[in-house]
Amino acid sequence: MSELRETKGEKFFNIIEKNAVSILFLIICAVGIAFSGYSLGYLGQEIITRVARNSFLIISLLIPIMAGMGLNFGMTLGAMAGQIGLIFISDWGIAGIPGMVLAMIISTPISALLGWLCGKILNMAKGREMVTSYIIGFFINGIYQLIVLYGMGPVIPIKDPALVLPRGYGIRNTVNLIGIRRALDDVLAIRVFGLSVPLMTFIVIALLCLFMVWFKKSKLGQDMRAVGQDMEVARAAGIRVEHTRIVSIVISTILAGYGMIIYLQNMGTLNTYNSHMQIGMFSIAALLVGGASVNRASIGNVFLGVTLFHLMFIVSPMAGKNLIGQAQLGEFFRVFVSYGVITLALVLYEIRKRRSRTRAGRLLAQDQLDAIKEEQ
Amino acid sequence: MENKRALLKRRIIQLAVIVLVILLGAVMFVVGKEHTILLDNKSIESGGVTYNAFQVVEVQVDGRDKLELGPRDRDKEVVMGQRHKVTVTYFDKYYEEHVVVKKFKVPISQKMVLISLPAVAAELDQSVWLTNYEAPTLLNIPKDEEPIVSDDLIPLDF
Amino acid sequence: MTKIRKFMKSFGWPRIIIGLFLLSLFIIAPFVGVNLGTSLSDTLIRFGMNSVLVLAMVPMIHSGCGLNFGLPLGIIAGLLGGTLSIQFGFTGGLSFLMAIILATPFGLLFGWGYGSLLNRVKGGEMMIATYVGFSSVAFMCMMWLILPYNHPTMIWGYAGSGLRTTISTEGFYLHTLNNFLQIQIGEKLIIPTGMILFFALMAFLVWAFLHTKTGTAMTAVGSNPVFARASGINIDRTRTLSVMMSTWLGAIGILVYQQSFGFIQLYMGPFYMALPAVSAILIGGASVNKASITNVVIGTLFFQGILTMTPSVMNSIIHTDMSEVIRIVVSNGMILYALTRKSEVSR
Repeated sequence: MSELRETKGEKFFNIIEKNAVSILFLIICAVGIAFSGYSLGYLGQEIITRVARNSFLIISLLIPIMAGMGLNFGMTLGAMAGQIGLIFISDWGIAGIPGMVLAMIISTPISALLGWLCGKILNMAKGREMVTSYIIGFFINGIYQLIVLYGMGPVIPIKDPALVLPRGYGIRNTVNLIGIRRALDDVLAIRVFGLSVPLMTFIVIALLCLFMVWFKKSKLGQDMRAVGQDMEVARAAGIRVEHTRIVSIVISTILAGYGMIIYLQNMGTLNTYNSHMQIGMFSIAALLVGGASVNRASIGNVFLGVTLFHLMFIVSPMAGKNLIGQAQLGEFFRVFVSYGVITLALVLYEIRKRRSRTRAGRLLAQDQLDAIKEEQ
Repeated sequence: MENKRALLKRRIIQLAVIVLVILLGAVMFVVGKEHTILLDNKSIESGGVTYNAFQVVEVQVDGRDKLELGPRDRDKEVVMGQRHKVTVTYFDKYYEEHVVVKKFKVPISQKMVLISLPAVAAELDQSVWLTNYEAPTLLNIPKDEEPIVSDDLIPLDF
Repeated sequence: MTKIRKFMKSFGWPRIIIGLFLLSLFIIAPFVGVNLGTSLSDTLIRFGMNSVLVLAMVPMIHSGCGLNFGLPLGIIAGLLGGTLSIQFGFTGGLSFLMAIILATPFGLLFGWGYGSLLNRVKGGEMMIATYVGFSSVAFMCMMWLILPYNHPTMIWGYAGSGLRTTISTEGFYLHTLNNFLQIQIGEKLIIPTGMILFFALMAFLVWAFLHTKTGTAMTAVGSNPVFARASGINIDRTRTLSVMMSTWLGAIGILVYQQSFGFIQLYMGPFYMALPAVSAILIGGASVNKASITNVVIGTLFFQGILTMTPSVMNSIIHTDMSEVIRIVVSNGMILYALTRKSEVSR
């Protein structure tokens, strides 16, 4: 009856606001590139490497967003599972693609169990999933350390002295993943315009994207979107809300585990006690930079985000050095920007949520007014 | 009843998938297992006969680069999987070239095997030239830890 | 019997488990050669160091802003106060007083900004608070490098600018409170009276405030916003006030911590300081929207007691220091427990 009462100015403002984070980042990157003095070839190569390395992990975040559970800070759980798989294959001396596949097979049940646990807990904390999943990450990190730092060695048999600390139990701080280093990247590495492109990794990522597209249209995907829209309505429609939410977290965790394995085969070194904690923050920041929000994210956001975020990441130390004479300042700057971006995105999301609520109220009031007028 | 049968069918499929995945894991284990092959050009005694080390010998594992070994030299190749081929090229005392190609299978449990080249060249039994090798414990002391390669962002060590 | 059951229920099983665990540690301690006197005084000193930081949780929980994961913001105000006090050349006890005075405007200013932000994001406070804390720490990392501090004890010797990562408080406010009216019983048992008195003073101030008209309004906002609005309370202003108080208490808290610890930790130092304080108050029996001074006292004693006792006792029993892992599991487990409780106000 009454059309959206929105002026052109408001529309423009809305578009700007929806993409505020990406636009801000574009500006930062442009300035950074100009001042860093890096060649385009170097930047291109770095970006290709990092897109191949990180995309899988970031895509794993999409499903819980679809189910309305916000950013899954619990993806660190999957990363831990992936790392446990990698520790085992390193000990057994399984290398190459078979090693990666075996690591994925080992990680799957661990991820599924952790994801199920995470989903259960998140169902008890509806409405504050994000902060809860964030704390779950820390909590499970404690358990992970208990297992890896104290359990591995005599209790969980890990024999290779290159992995076990000299004291006889516990895994070393850094594990050299020489067996699977660049295993996937080098399968089909081609050169395009002088840049080396790990085609196989991109094919794997493309397959995952296809899976995501298919999943969105599947019955389960539709259910998840319904749950994400409104839990009560979904429940009334006969969808098992709790179950659907758990499944979304389980899938995300398993995918995060695979993503971590792909990430680490590129890095070639496992930081046993840090890698997983950093990766959650990285991935979430990158996704948000790509224009995603707490309740809306697409595959496009992933690629735009990973490109922009890592561009900023690469150029800022050098730009800091050239601008102010201190590379360290640039490093702190990129840390600040990573956290700032998440803060900004979360704040914008909450503000928008409130505004849309008040706007809906305003429209309703207008509607009623119109109705009264018509009656007269 | 119908429901029960569907459930049973589902359970069976689930079980089959799990078994398949475990099987895949086992295959990956066998295929991806790394073995270190030590290639040893050293005199060896077998059945009362001594087979002398070569003055110079070329050896090739699978399709890799050829390695040239002098007397008492030892080199190594790290290979994946069980089945491999070793090609030994040597000259006898009449300066005639001989090529011996042997296919072999490394037992899954052995991390390191030693291949005696003189024994291979003499075409002895596989059990003579292919033996398990336990590295002395001294070799097991790991090197210093490598510098950490990472995208360190923040000291996140709560 | 029902009385006991009622008490058990109100106390909550996690607290009982943690309490029993702590008690057993204290019982085992003498048998494995850990000196009880030292343990007790360590616990008390750590209680004094951390209690004000834990107290900083109370106002925000009262006004319904949830757990103050943004504590690092308050800590930064304290760091500014401490470093400025040294920069202006104050020494000894006076420098502590000046640090508090100098930290106050920053605490109030940051708190005001932080509070105004939280008012715009009602319902999502905790996650945003966490990230406000993180980003402010990261922002200050840059600032510590470029702010024009030039007191020789604080800046990098070779660069001639930029603050050090750790600055000793020796000669400034080291042990100002610790040594005040300190009581020594026997050889090992030391009671840091000054610190405990200071905490008591702060706790009394908060308690008294919560019983003023504004204070009760704050509690009303937290427990029943609809009722509060109906009775004409300005919700946003009350919430901002509570956040300002929390931030200011965080600033004071870190100064108390530093005077005992001996060092000002800049840069990434404050990064994870919120989590121990949050879990301490939860261990003391607080929930996401209810907290009292008693919760602060019990929680800090329990939490710091475990932190003090586990390393020494564990080390003597199994010759392994698993305390770090235990700390991570206990403190985060406690936060998880609190987050999953159904609270009266759903948010």
